[in-house]
Amino acid sequence: MNKITLDHGSGGKLTLELIETVFKAKNGLDSAIIEDIAFTTDSHSINPLFFKGGNIGKLSVSGTVNDLLCVGARPLYLSSAFIIEAGFDMEKLEKIVESMTKEAENANVKIVCGDTKVVENGKCDGVYINTSGIGKIIKPIDGQGVKDKDVVIVSGTVGDHGFAILNERENLNLSSSLKSDVSNLTHLLVPLIESELDIKFIRDPTRGGLAMCLNELCYNRDFGVEIYEEGIPTREDVRVMSEILGIEPYYSANEGKVVIVSSKEDADKALHILKQSELGKNAAIIGKITKDNPKKVVLHTKFDTKRILKMPIADKMPRIC
Amino acid sequence: MKTVNLELFNNPNTVNKLSIAIKNESEKLNKPIKIMHICGTHENSIVRYGIRDLLPKSITVIAGPGCPVCVTSSKDIDAVINLSLKKNVKILTFGDMLKVPGTEMSFYKAKSLGADIKMVYSVFDAIELARSASKPCIFFACGFETTAAPTASALRDINIPDNFFIYSAHKYTPNGVYALLKSGKINMDGLILPGHASAISGLKVYERFVEDFNIPCASAGFESVDVLLSVLLIIKQINNKKPKIENGYKRVVNYEGNKNAQKALEDIFYLTNAVWRGLGNIDLTGYELRKEYARFDAKKQFDIVYSDNYIEHQKGCRCNEVILGNINPTQCPLYAKLCTPQNPVGPCMVSDEGTCKNWYDGGIE
Repeated sequence: MNKITLDHGSGGKLTLELIETVFKAKNGLDSAIIEDIAFTTDSHSINPLFFKGGNIGKLSVSGTVNDLLCVGARPLYLSSAFIIEAGFDMEKLEKIVESMTKEAENANVKIVCGDTKVVENGKCDGVYINTSGIGKIIKPIDGQGVKDKDVVIVSGTVGDHGFAILNERENLNLSSSLKSDVSNLTHLLVPLIESELDIKFIRDPTRGGLAMCLNELCYNRDFGVEIYEEGIPTREDVRVMSEILGIEPYYSANEGKVVIVSSKEDADKALHILKQSELGKNAAIIGKITKDNPKKVVLHTKFDTKRILKMPIADKMPRIC
Repeated sequence: MKTVNLELFNNPNTVNKLSIAIKNESEKLNKPIKIMHICGTHENSIVRYGIRDLLPKSITVIAGPGCPVCVTSSKDIDAVINLSLKKNVKILTFGDMLKVPGTEMSFYKAKSLGADIKMVYSVFDAIELARSASKPCIFFACGFETTAAPTASALRDINIPDNFFIYSAHKYTPNGVYALLKSGKINMDGLILPGHASAISGLKVYERFVEDFNIPCASAGFESVDVLLSVLLIIKQINNKKPKIENGYKRVVNYEGNKNAQKALEDIFYLTNAVWRGLGNIDLTGYELRKEYARFDAKKQFDIVYSDNYIEHQKGCRCNEVILGNINPTQCPLYAKLCTPQNPVGPCMVSDEGTCKNWYDGGIE
């Protein structure tokens, strides 16, 4: 008998199949656009709840805010629903809520409603948080206009969140300075969306990382993506951890980065806008859209060899967001 | 701890220089050559760095029997699965092993039928789990010297709880590869010696490959520069007509190997014949526990039943030919169609060291 496995929640190919076959959703988009409103929802279960760079509270606000931004909306209102395990420390809960409030203020959104459920001890890992959000569309961005020769930009170093969590959870002690990049991207993205630039696609490469995000970009489309290893910003400690653990940074989650596709003409200007923000200081052009390899993501290595960056089937690091 | 900056070994300039040197040296060859490696992690590096694209057409690098999970026989897998379904025991094994198909099912499938099976990262992890378990725990130990050595040192050197047992499916690489060469099942013009396994066994155990078969050999690490260097060393040996053992991985491997690890292996295990998946029985390749350690030996402490009707490869699966380097994964009709990492038909599609899995992950179609 078929059973749900952790892999079905990995954000990879199996998640996509679950959404298509069981939930029967034709497009597995994170956010819906309804007239001039964007609507999204996201549940968060992370181990550990508190980590370098943030906690589940900050994550639950920024994740939903970022999903709204990705469809070209200005995030406005959030709901928050808690599932809490009996016996959970009140002080920890207060810290989580404090982080949510702070992150919401920073993102200029209001948390306007919520719900609380408590389950028996042992029935959930401390706390799970669901947030839903609505925003007002500034300019709808749905990836439909992406075409040959468009340019692919990433807003900063890739893989930080996944490796930071792994480093902490497994007590690897491989880096002392690495922290999660979890952050809302309101101040990075609103100026870009409000600009006159031809921005065709924005997506936050969370679970499954850059590889999943780029594969989704060209999933069932008549174009593919070409990226250049040397241009992809990565932290040195992430590269070292990647070597040791055998997990490439391209498959590791991010919680404060976006992949952007713009027209060729506007790419440099888009990069310029991103670099104005502290959150986008390491932004870089990493590749382009191509007709040469439809539906596929081709990675050009620094040795000028090529290989295909597959859609991850399942995450090598479960429960990281 | 001594650390090495791995980026030095992936420097594009160095890679470029080595590629040019290989190209120049290859022009002196009088025929196309085939170089085999016998380590799954080498295949991983080769695919990841696109090394084959850097080599001239006259040089083919093929993957030999270098994936320990892939050569673990269904006979062993079936027997332990059977035990797990019948007796109140906990089976502990590596993640790679879980999805490997046996005759009727994998450990993963057995788990869904109620067997108590848990993934562990190491023998030490398995022992710790046994400490807190209330039933017999059997560690299904597979792997070459690299993992056999930790198993040996754990049994010899640390305090083991009474409920901990080992089912050894460990295998010794050099004898296996030697036998396959002798029988003509594998052939090559040069051999890239394993990195991890050679750190344990050393390089001298490969001298007879040179003496008996005139095969040029070079050890290699796992970065792009390491692999290319070993290829260059081998081509030079061929051109000089002086086959020998060369060490291309000096930062980890030496001629004599790791004496402490060898001593631990010697203390705990003896070598006997073992069934290699799809390749049959090979003398002196199976690590079995010495009788002094029979108390830990699941094969002696439990009623293990072996079937004569075990099936190594399902219909259509050509893993046995892939393991020998006689065909590429893409030549198997099941590859990436009926056989994928989600639904592996053969063992080579399961492990990160399996050739089919590496090719699949690298998008090779």
